[in-house]
Amino acid sequence: MSNPIAKSSVETLARNEPAWVANQRRVAWETFERLPLPSRRDVDWQRFDLKALQLDKLAASNSNPFVTASLSSLSSPLAAKGVLFSTLPAAITQHPELVREYLGKSIVADEPAKFAALHNALWDTGAFLYVPAGLRIEAPIEIEYRFQGDHAAGFPRTLIVLEAGAEATVVQKFVGGPAADVKLAAASVLAASSEVFVKDGGKLHYVISQNCGPNVFDFTLKRAHVARDAEIDWVVGMFGGSLSRYDVQCIMEGEGGMSYMYGVGVGDGQQQIGQFTKQHHRVGHTTSDLLFKNVLRDQAASNYAGIIKVEKNANGTNAYQSNRNLVLDKQVQCDTRPILEIESNQLRCTHGATVGWLDEQQLYYLRSRGLADVEAKNVLIEAFLEPVLARIQVESVQREFAELIHHKVVR
Amino acid sequence: MSNPSATELPIGRTYKEGFHDDIKTLKTVPKGLSHDVVDYMSDVKAEPDWMRQFRHRSLDLFLKQGIPEWMPGLRTEFNYDEFTYYLSPVDKSARKWEDVPEEIRRTYDKLGIAKEEQKLLGGLGAQIDSEMAYHNVQESLTKKGVVFLSCDDGMKEFPEIFREHFAKVIPPEDNKFAALNSAFWSGGSFVYVPKGVKCDVPLSVYFRINAEQFGQFERTLIIVEDDSFCHYVEGCSAPIYTTNSLHAAVVEIYVKERARCRYTTIQNWSTDVYNLVTKRALISSKGVMEWVDGNLGSKRTVKYPSCYMIGEGAHGEILSLASADKGMWQDAGAKLVFLAPNCTGRINSKSISGHGGRSSYRGLVQVAKNATGCRAQVNCDALILDERSRSDTYPTMETNGNLATLEHEASVSNVSEEQIFYLTSRGIKKEDAVSMIVNGFIEPIVKELPMEFAVEINRLINMQMEGSVG
Repeated sequence: MSNPIAKSSVETLARNEPAWVANQRRVAWETFERLPLPSRRDVDWQRFDLKALQLDKLAASNSNPFVTASLSSLSSPLAAKGVLFSTLPAAITQHPELVREYLGKSIVADEPAKFAALHNALWDTGAFLYVPAGLRIEAPIEIEYRFQGDHAAGFPRTLIVLEAGAEATVVQKFVGGPAADVKLAAASVLAASSEVFVKDGGKLHYVISQNCGPNVFDFTLKRAHVARDAEIDWVVGMFGGSLSRYDVQCIMEGEGGMSYMYGVGVGDGQQQIGQFTKQHHRVGHTTSDLLFKNVLRDQAASNYAGIIKVEKNANGTNAYQSNRNLVLDKQVQCDTRPILEIESNQLRCTHGATVGWLDEQQLYYLRSRGLADVEAKNVLIEAFLEPVLARIQVESVQREFAELIHHKVVR
Repeated sequence: MSNPSATELPIGRTYKEGFHDDIKTLKTVPKGLSHDVVDYMSDVKAEPDWMRQFRHRSLDLFLKQGIPEWMPGLRTEFNYDEFTYYLSPVDKSARKWEDVPEEIRRTYDKLGIAKEEQKLLGGLGAQIDSEMAYHNVQESLTKKGVVFLSCDDGMKEFPEIFREHFAKVIPPEDNKFAALNSAFWSGGSFVYVPKGVKCDVPLSVYFRINAEQFGQFERTLIIVEDDSFCHYVEGCSAPIYTTNSLHAAVVEIYVKERARCRYTTIQNWSTDVYNLVTKRALISSKGVMEWVDGNLGSKRTVKYPSCYMIGEGAHGEILSLASADKGMWQDAGAKLVFLAPNCTGRINSKSISGHGGRSSYRGLVQVAKNATGCRAQVNCDALILDERSRSDTYPTMETNGNLATLEHEASVSNVSEEQIFYLTSRGIKKEDAVSMIVNGFIEPIVKELPMEFAVEINRLINMQMEGSVG
């Protein structure tokens, strides 16, 4: 039995859920129906080719969701201290009051974005992490979302809450999807979201890697709320999918809050990569730092658009934003749009963006030291991405990133 | 009513150009835009038929075209029917200052125009409302074949060159305000610099709006032939009314092979004026175009001087300076469009927002397919003087299948307490310290201006600084 992308599937999901969840779904579905499909007339979509996207050819789920969530196991001492880590549907059943406090509070049911609304209406799997006040978790917590099925749409939803003074490391991976050699009438859709709340003095290290197979269109929204003296550092790796479009947002809500946002995208073939970042400083004396680096070859396309928004009376904001692109082939298409909107004056905001290719002199230097042309290029590419990789605090994940990059870049 | 004394605004900027003179109107049309106005203008100007058709077509395009979403407010803030689209206090463009009607001369004397012509300029034009009251060029330049006329006279005296180049860089289809200008254009300059001629002294034009609720649509066409050089300088001002005026100019420039053109603007409209301008240069192989764009006035400026590099090795450069004071939104910026290989471009933008003003940098760097080996560098710095003011940066960089090197950097900051403390501890008054810091901030652009203009800019900026620091 497969469920189409339709109101009926929303109702199927809502059947066994508390009313507040079901209502969120219905509002989201209405929003989805109301919003037009993005087109090239929209400035944030003009560089994306959505021809392969045919929602009516896709199933939202069959007897099981197309995305399965596997979670690393939680040690019993941590569970005893009140850490909650389970699938999101399980959490809604077991801790309805706690989940209700957060779910849909940041990524709201009527989120005005087509694919976020679709996700909100049809999410069917996910993970919930709750770390109680003052507790520091050393070992990384892993969430793996595995995509299975052709002509499928998967909607994993992640909710992370760190209470005051808590600390955790979350590693989230997206893998799977239709195989490369399958000829498909329409691309599969992965529409994921993460809602993150880091309370006063909390600290979250958040690593995300997307390495789905080809034929996947990935629309992901991640939003973090950073409270007083809290800190989040993100590292986002975008490797797979034929189209992946990430919205990564941090909202600075308490003085002393810090957000470090790092990203790496590696595109080849006809991959389309989109990175839309937002550093929203609602209050002053907050810091955000962003660095997104992309390496593009073949006919890959990348589109970066990032905004630093500083509201009135957010004096003492310190924000930095940087997007660097390395172009390896003549067919690459690369756009970058770093935006500043500043309404306070006691602050410092800077941004920079570059598009460039490998430096001939540096290549020459390496070759003159006996490196083959290919090796010299690889050294430079890996050196280019190193500042982002260095931000990953889990060694094994850092190695994984390096391998993924190596695999895609080395020819 | 003549009011020669400076008009004081409640805070900040003192706008000494805000006076208004009673000048007799010789020709005008009823308010609002219509095909009748177009016909009237074409009749009065005794234009060739192709121009009449062009105007009508442009008006149709204007009525059809929408305003992009990123131009908020311009759809609703004013009504196009509240403006007068043609109004002339003069019969013809005089070649001698004595032939300019006395009352207009008085206006220009107050503005200090014309005094400088003899010693500093190669030519001077002075436009009031719709028409050029005066247009003259030094004989030595005329002898070399340099043409400097009002755009209307250019069309009549050099019909072939004019028609070959007119509206080819910026066709009326380009945007709504270019279409508006194309329908109602009047005045502006026609400049032709023949091959190999270096026009060392600047050609200058001053635009004045005197009438109320008026639309000024001057049109400038500059052709700099191979290996030539020309520096064109424009300034402008308007009285302070309680109603709005509209200024929608179109400036088209051809920089031919190995030629160089510099276009300097000191925009100092009163805060009644919507300044919606399209400026674009086509640069041929190894040509150099430099825009020096100073925006200090107006209620709302929407202007992005552009360089379209169509020949290999062309270079485009834009220096942009914007100062947004109370009641202003300077939506300024620049465009570099690379259409040929091995071209280079640079944008350097500095903006200041104070007293609740808003300044935005909006820029585009675009590299077309096959334009390989191009390089562009963009620098934007913004200074915000108080917490009521706002600064935005909206740059876009696009590359399409080529190996280009593009760099963009921007920063927004305030005049820091530390800087002020350092200067005040050396016995400098706080206000002077702020002025000094701001002047240092804009210095890289101001130093590119002719001396007299640099002095003028510093004066205007200092005026805007008054009362900036509490």
